[in-house]
Amino acid sequence: MNGRVRVAVDAMGGDHAPEEIVKGAVLAAQKDDVEIFLVGTASILEKELARNKLTNNSHIYIVGASEVIKENESPVDVIRRKPNCSVAIAAKMIKSGEADALFSAGSTAAAAISAIQFIGMLDGIYRPALVGSLGSFAPNTVMVDLGANVDCKPHQFVTFAIAGSVYARKFLNISDPKIALLSTGSEESKGNDVVYEAYSLLKNSGLNFIGNIEGGDILSGKANVIVCDGFVGNVLLKFYESIGSHAQVWVEQKLKKHPPLRALVRLMFKQLFPATKISTETEKHGGGILWGIDGVVKIAHGASRAPQIANAIESAKEAVKAGVVDNLRSELVKFNQGGKL
Amino acid sequence: MTVEDQVRDIVAKITRVDKSIITRESTFKEIKADSLDVVQALVAVEETFGIEIPDEEAQKFQNFGDFVSYVESRVAQEEKV
Repeated sequence: MNGRVRVAVDAMGGDHAPEEIVKGAVLAAQKDDVEIFLVGTASILEKELARNKLTNNSHIYIVGASEVIKENESPVDVIRRKPNCSVAIAAKMIKSGEADALFSAGSTAAAAISAIQFIGMLDGIYRPALVGSLGSFAPNTVMVDLGANVDCKPHQFVTFAIAGSVYARKFLNISDPKIALLSTGSEESKGNDVVYEAYSLLKNSGLNFIGNIEGGDILSGKANVIVCDGFVGNVLLKFYESIGSHAQVWVEQKLKKHPPLRALVRLMFKQLFPATKISTETEKHGGGILWGIDGVVKIAHGASRAPQIANAIESAKEAVKAGVVDNLRSELVKFNQGGKL
Repeated sequence: MTVEDQVRDIVAKITRVDKSIITRESTFKEIKADSLDVVQALVAVEETFGIEIPDEEAQKFQNFGDFVSYVESRVAQEEKV
């Protein structure tokens, strides 16, 4: 590395691709410590890039990809049928050492599958997971998985706990994070079959596992790492992100007949509880990292516009600099020595 | 090592199940292999044996035995050539 972090950007993925992706990449490339490789259909990207004003010191390049994933195509088929699509080429650049991080605002599944197949997982990891801090209401709590694995096997919860612990230590400065399993009751016997089996694995893992936690305790701060499958995590994440704006509407409605008080409440929400603050790392940094891949893979909402794209690329760069992959790798090695993965 | 043993090793490694439970009669559902596991196994087998498994053939596999039989026949064909 020449001091710059090299980010391979899937320029064809996202609701507003390639226009907003290219714009965002150009914004991110204004900083001197990053090199951006826009991966996609070269002729289209050349035109898009020409429409944007590049500063003289921008390090932004185009890498051609001969295939494009269509909306109705199964992401799983990417591996076999479209190994030369933009996200797959970007993933291969990590594997070959031509890039340090991959960013995509396209299909999360396609990015995850490309990363799994073409970059590979860290030893001990079965599938990558999305980790995010709960921010405002529970600043010392992270949740895993926020949506990468809709269906999980029990052993995955252990790797989620390890990834969440690394996140809590690295980004929240919590030296010995308390881990809990999200369930329908605090007793060991509560939950579905997968959760029940995961409880036993976590209990015997040697990790700082404090048992089950119920939905009502998610924001209590009792646990620093809450593990759940990606289906539950994603539903909760979106519900959580919506609380601020819905609460404001509800309170204002209640105070309809009291305009001065209503104005005060509006101000209070604006100053103290803006909706953007009641959110996770996923929002603040324009996306989330897929933890468990042997390289930094950053994904963002498909609807992201240029500023969020730029933030996400910046965040991918910071993750490379922070060495998050190596941190997780060394935790997994320590854990693997006990033969528990 | 037979073709069957090699394919079993690949499937066990990808799905993280004990290979002793994978019999020729085991369905992918029984060994808790999801669609990504199956595609990863197909890709790994293609790379290991230097063959290509068309989607229309892969879709016919009802169980592990069907998968192995197909790979065995393709490997035998390749050896003849």
